[in-house]
Amino acid sequence: MDCGTALRKIIAKADGLLPREEEAELAGHLSGCPACTAEDAAISATGPALRALTGIRAMEKAPALDAMWTRVRAGIEEGRETRRRSSWIARWAWVPAAVAIAVAALLFYPAGTSRSPFHPSSFDVAVEDVESDVATVALVDKGEDLPRVIWIIEDAKT
Amino acid sequence: MNEREKGGVPDDALIRTTLAGDDGAFGELVERYKGRAFAVAVGIVGDGDVALDVVQDSFIKAYYKLKEFRFGSNFYTWFYRLLVNQAIDRWRKSARSMEVPFDESWLSEDASPPDSFAYPRSPEDLARDRELGDALQRAVDALPEYHRAVIVLREVDGMAYDEIARVLGCSVGTVMSRLHYARGKLKESLKSHRDR
Repeated sequence: MDCGTALRKIIAKADGLLPREEEAELAGHLSGCPACTAEDAAISATGPALRALTGIRAMEKAPALDAMWTRVRAGIEEGRETRRRSSWIARWAWVPAAVAIAVAALLFYPAGTSRSPFHPSSFDVAVEDVESDVATVALVDKGEDLPRVIWIIEDAKT
Repeated sequence: MNEREKGGVPDDALIRTTLAGDDGAFGELVERYKGRAFAVAVGIVGDGDVALDVVQDSFIKAYYKLKEFRFGSNFYTWFYRLLVNQAIDRWRKSARSMEVPFDESWLSEDASPPDSFAYPRSPEDLARDRELGDALQRAVDALPEYHRAVIVLREVDGMAYDEIARVLGCSVGTVMSRLHYARGKLKESLKSHRDR
């Protein structure tokens, strides 16, 4: 066996891919070739050396690693709280938008025009049922006699 | 069933229990895989504190993505994909120097260079030869990130080629060529240290 073939087999051995029957042939070459023996020793050492390196780090951080579930649980709780907050904001974000539209409608209501018979003297913006998962937002013309709903979003799913 | 599940509740059952609302079951998964996960993370990012953060973040991410887990596949392969991506992401973002010093406490008072050179086979061996530890860490750090991930998953975690391929989303051939390259670089580092 030449050194080039031996080197390929050394690498295959390190990768766990050398057939058992070829191991003896390689060992025969290594016993008479110091260069390939040195190569074999170095390649075979990469795995254990890397495990030793990560092992040192693991031992340095053993106490922190012991508390990993505590850290993870705290992170999960924090994530839950953040999600709860953002979902509440997403759920109710449309309410101020709806109120803003209602106010805009109020400002541009055609006062002093041919539609004046129904022109209101005062307005109410009402938001109801905000504690449940539905809400009703309405712009109400209180008027002289009976109140009149100008604009409404009723039982909107939040 | 993998080695970690032997004698315990299978991963799938723990996942189902977690999804049913019992966080304690997820705690068991964390206990089961935190050691392996840390070894992989520290092999990729190099720094112990950063690796702890990576492991923590990966478990939290896994918890919130648990609904996406496909029953019948391996939890650890699925989890390692999150872990390796998280580790590589942290590595890219960090401005860590190429040299990571060893914790001095690991060097015993009577530590001295060995009389005849032998490659380290345990953390204690490596702790006695600080220069080699630093040289090895530099060689690992100098590897492209996916090559580093491949050799860590193979040598530290002992994963099979097809599992590594699934974790990294590449072919077995790519895994083998990356492993070959990475092993060659680490070998050069070890040899050049020995020949000095």
